[in-house]
Amino acid sequence: MSFLGKFLRAKAVIWILIILPGLWPAWPLFYRQDPSVLADPLKFVLLHLGFTASLLLAIVLTFTPLRVLFPKWDVALALNRHRRLVGVSAFAYGAIHFSTHLFYELQGGAQGVGHVLKTDVTKPFLVTGMIALTLLLVLAITSLQALIRWLGGKAWKNLHRLAYVAAALIAYHQSAARKVFPMQVLWIFIPLVLLELARFVKQRRGRTAPRMAPVRPGDQGIPVRTANERE
Amino acid sequence: MLIRSPQDWELPESAATPERDYDLRSLGRREFLKTAGLGLATAALAGRPAFATTAGFPTKVNPDYRDAALKPTAYELITSYNNFYEFGTDKADPKPNANKGWKTEPWTVEITGLVRNPAKIDANDLVAKMGGAEQRVYRFRCVEAWSMVIPWDGFPLAKLIAWADPKPEAKFVTFTTVLDPKNIPGQRRGTLEWPYLEALRLDESNHELAFMATGIYGRPIPNQNGAPLRLVVPWKYGFKCGKSIVKINFVAKQPRNTWNVMAADEYGFYANVNPTVDHPRWSQASERVIGGGGLLGTRQKTLMFNGYEKQCAALYKGMDLRKYY
Repeated sequence: MSFLGKFLRAKAVIWILIILPGLWPAWPLFYRQDPSVLADPLKFVLLHLGFTASLLLAIVLTFTPLRVLFPKWDVALALNRHRRLVGVSAFAYGAIHFSTHLFYELQGGAQGVGHVLKTDVTKPFLVTGMIALTLLLVLAITSLQALIRWLGGKAWKNLHRLAYVAAALIAYHQSAARKVFPMQVLWIFIPLVLLELARFVKQRRGRTAPRMAPVRPGDQGIPVRTANERE
Repeated sequence: MLIRSPQDWELPESAATPERDYDLRSLGRREFLKTAGLGLATAALAGRPAFATTAGFPTKVNPDYRDAALKPTAYELITSYNNFYEFGTDKADPKPNANKGWKTEPWTVEITGLVRNPAKIDANDLVAKMGGAEQRVYRFRCVEAWSMVIPWDGFPLAKLIAWADPKPEAKFVTFTTVLDPKNIPGQRRGTLEWPYLEALRLDESNHELAFMATGIYGRPIPNQNGAPLRLVVPWKYGFKCGKSIVKINFVAKQPRNTWNVMAADEYGFYANVNPTVDHPRWSQASERVIGGGGLLGTRQKTLMFNGYEKQCAALYKGMDLRKYY
């Protein structure tokens, strides 16, 4: 097993990798005292939290295609041990991002949360972010062990496909946040799209290639899968 | 009234870069700051290789355009938080990128179109022709819902128009900004249509508040803020204020301004500050105050015509401001 594979298996390592980006704004704010950041510090924090949420969601979505494409690569296997942790952290960053947004809009204007939300739902740019966060909230809650069992493997898997819907909404939300299209959206989401395409191609081939003799569950040592069984 | 016309060779005290800054620049700005133990404001002035328009400095404060209630934003913030897409789309980009060999002196401005007195004139000569520079403190409101208060130095646009002497057919004034892809990195990408173009109605241009800025805080305007000559129209969103202008053209028909070409449903020709007409993606009812209130910052209500309603509303009498945004 490679060093990287071993390294990434450790939960503590993943925790650190998740928490560090949240602390990053302290660097330009307090150490570099960058005036372009100090001009509106909270806006910098707001954008940074949203960026981190988006990045973490894109990263966690690459885990499965990586495992399918490189089933023997220990790094891909190590990463897949942390799917839930990274996924829930994307939601957590999104939730802090949204709370910061509310605070950012409220200050001084003081017209109440209701007023801010009312404005938000009239703007596609803002409402897409809110829908995505709601989806991630549902996914985070249903990541509890008890709820996974209650839902059953298949239903759970189908429900969690909503992560792709959330990713698409976030890609739009992020690109609409600036006056011109921000290139970072491409850097974040294009690798994911490419990996998903590669996985799709591989799985299609895998499904069509061994069709020489039809096999049914129970034949020649192929296990019978029950409906409730998880992968 | 005595108006002293400064000579070409005259430089204000503030324009001179102290010799020690040249020596220390190789250390990098941060290191220099630490070794010298200076504040941020001083650092902004150090290490600038060339100044733009130097004529007209030092400037005199025009007391008619100084509101005691307005607290000017720190120089360091005004010159570090810039929308100047020619040098990058991030607010932090223009400051470093506009000071890497892009020269704003000497600078020639062309005044052309439907005028009786077309001219190609050096920016310094133009300032001298306009009777030097004065200082006015204006609110500045960006379409992205943030605001500053900026002490601009320069001259009223109306003076330039009187000098150009427009023909009766002239109804609009267009401001073409610099095009120099070799030295301006952003212009090598198609972020926007280059050169950036802005325009005003002739009567808007003749309004007493319309201003040509050549300085900030009594110093020649830094490159990242649109050296050597930029437009300032304080009752409109910031993007109307074209930077680094090379051509002022008087025309009969309403031209299309760059942002309007880019996204007509989001950016109109008028772009008057209006808290009741939202940007399709965000509200314009309030604005973030740049440099206001520490780390958490602060927000204030946006005023109609950015607080210049009394002076400017008459320009748009009878117009539907929802339609002509």
